[in-house]
Amino acid sequence: MAGQPYMRVENLVKRFGPFTALAGVSLEIFPGEVHALLGDNGAGKSTLIKILAGVHRASEGQIYVEGRPVTFRSPRDATAAGIGTVYQDLALNQLMSVTRNFFMGREIKNRLGVLKMDEMDRIAHDEMLKIGIDFSDPTQAVGTMSGGQRQTLAIARAIYFGAKVLILDEPTSALGQKQQMGVLKTIKKVRKRGDIAIIFITHNEIHSRLVADRYTFLALGKVIGAGTRDSLEHGEIRRLMAGGAEMADLEQELESV
Amino acid sequence: MDVIERSESDRLRQENWIQRTVRRPEIGAFMVMAVIIVALYFASDGRAFNALGVKNNVAIIAQFGIIATGAALLMIAGEFDLSIGSMIGFAGMSMAMMLKWGLPFGLGEATPFAAFAVTLAMTLTLGWIIGNIVVRSGLSSFIVTLGFLFFLRGTTEVSFRLINKSTQISGLPDYKETSWFADLMGGEVFGWFYDAWFWLGGNLNRKGEQWVTGFDARFLWWILIAGVAWLILSRTQLGNWIFATGDDKEAARANGVPVNKVKIGLFMFTAFCATIFAACQVFDTNTSDAAKGNLKELEAIAIAVVGGTLMTGGFGSVLGVIFGAVTVGLVANAVFFIPWIDGSWFRVFVGTVLLAAVFANERIRKRITGGI
Repeated sequence: MAGQPYMRVENLVKRFGPFTALAGVSLEIFPGEVHALLGDNGAGKSTLIKILAGVHRASEGQIYVEGRPVTFRSPRDATAAGIGTVYQDLALNQLMSVTRNFFMGREIKNRLGVLKMDEMDRIAHDEMLKIGIDFSDPTQAVGTMSGGQRQTLAIARAIYFGAKVLILDEPTSALGQKQQMGVLKTIKKVRKRGDIAIIFITHNEIHSRLVADRYTFLALGKVIGAGTRDSLEHGEIRRLMAGGAEMADLEQELESV
Repeated sequence: MDVIERSESDRLRQENWIQRTVRRPEIGAFMVMAVIIVALYFASDGRAFNALGVKNNVAIIAQFGIIATGAALLMIAGEFDLSIGSMIGFAGMSMAMMLKWGLPFGLGEATPFAAFAVTLAMTLTLGWIIGNIVVRSGLSSFIVTLGFLFFLRGTTEVSFRLINKSTQISGLPDYKETSWFADLMGGEVFGWFYDAWFWLGGNLNRKGEQWVTGFDARFLWWILIAGVAWLILSRTQLGNWIFATGDDKEAARANGVPVNKVKIGLFMFTAFCATIFAACQVFDTNTSDAAKGNLKELEAIAIAVVGGTLMTGGFGSVLGVIFGAVTVGLVANAVFFIPWIDGSWFRVFVGTVLLAAVFANERIRKRITGGI
């Protein structure tokens, strides 16, 4: 065990009417680690991160941040507790500059209410440099950036505004091969800082093996397997990825079609 | 520390200031404006830019500029306001009626300032209502404000007939002589400019005396409104919120931008601009008419587009709108300086430039978003 978890989730249950999306999920999130959250469509990944991000409230169970029980009534509460979520759509505006996107909604202004553009440019540049992109011109529009760079911008923004837990919702999907590697590199750089915990949601077993320290597998709203990188066999990961069904069974089923 | 790779974003060409200037979004509007100024100068034998010509041109440019600034800011936030023209008619009616018949609810005679203040309170409330309907219903602002275009014009005409028995008011006393406020709205400003012109040997009438004494006050109001709009848009948090709201409002909301408040505030701002437009008109001419402001909403939108504002929101500049207002204002007035020209060419011109501008803006948008 590597120290104390920054965030602990105990027995989270979420019901939407008669439908149980999460049926008792527990997680431990450690700073300086990448926690891969894997599972098929409908496994409950989205529901889980929406509860962690304060979008939904859990029906049962408890979230602890630094050992203290917390209740998130809104995304704002979650952000204040240090949970930064980077959704798939990234919440970026294409026509606006890198800096204006970086500080969107949280601009730095002087006493007269005028933006400190130079300072904001510098911070945006430096923060992105820290995790691996050197932007010579933070006044360029986000629309000119590649998908991977946009991910980096969104991640840098979340970290700058105080994220201690960074939730990345399928950051590598919908990207080209090279850009996927860029994002994984960014994840590694954030991990190296040592003070930020990353929850990495993905479909891709290979990507998770490249960066993750710890795994949790979800299927039908339950944790069907969890463990550290060393404790899980390669074959075991693949089996759990498929929602617990034996690969052999699947192969057989496919054969019979 | 490992070596940082140069990233793909740095493949963008490094440019010098000339190239940067040429790529600015306002450049198209600026070029059109320059061509119009030169063409008008020669076609009118210089009359368009003599002392009186400049005054008259600036008067109409400022009128266009005031409402186009409001329309442009709202468009940048992703909405339209088709009620601007009717709002001008409504505000003008309201002020003139109070000046003639007294304040509502038997509150006695109206001073110019009181008439303006009560009217502004009404128009801002209307703007607030329009904004609330748009953000709460999620309906297109095009339809909601089209409704108010008819509603307000009808209300203006009905009110006129009910109270005044006629759809126009004329022969009000010249309040400019007695009220500082009326003078501020309808009087003259920047007299020093024409004094200096006279002092330098120009600006003479046939008797050799000083000809023109100052600009219409609306010039000052245009400068104030455009200046404040420029400052807000490019240098303040609110400006960033306006861009963010018009670009992708879900992304803006996710980052804590109060999208609905921004939109409602801007609908109130267009109402404010329309009210200033109407006040300048009423106190300048001491008349009012139910048909005032007709089609002005479309001209305001056209100027905003000619000035480089994107129809889809998220992009635009106050400087471009200034160029657009000068261009459209000069052409609208050209008929007075070029006697042989048919005034309807104005609409032909605006239509053509508008189409050209839409295509140019689309190219700008594609360049910024990398061709998506």
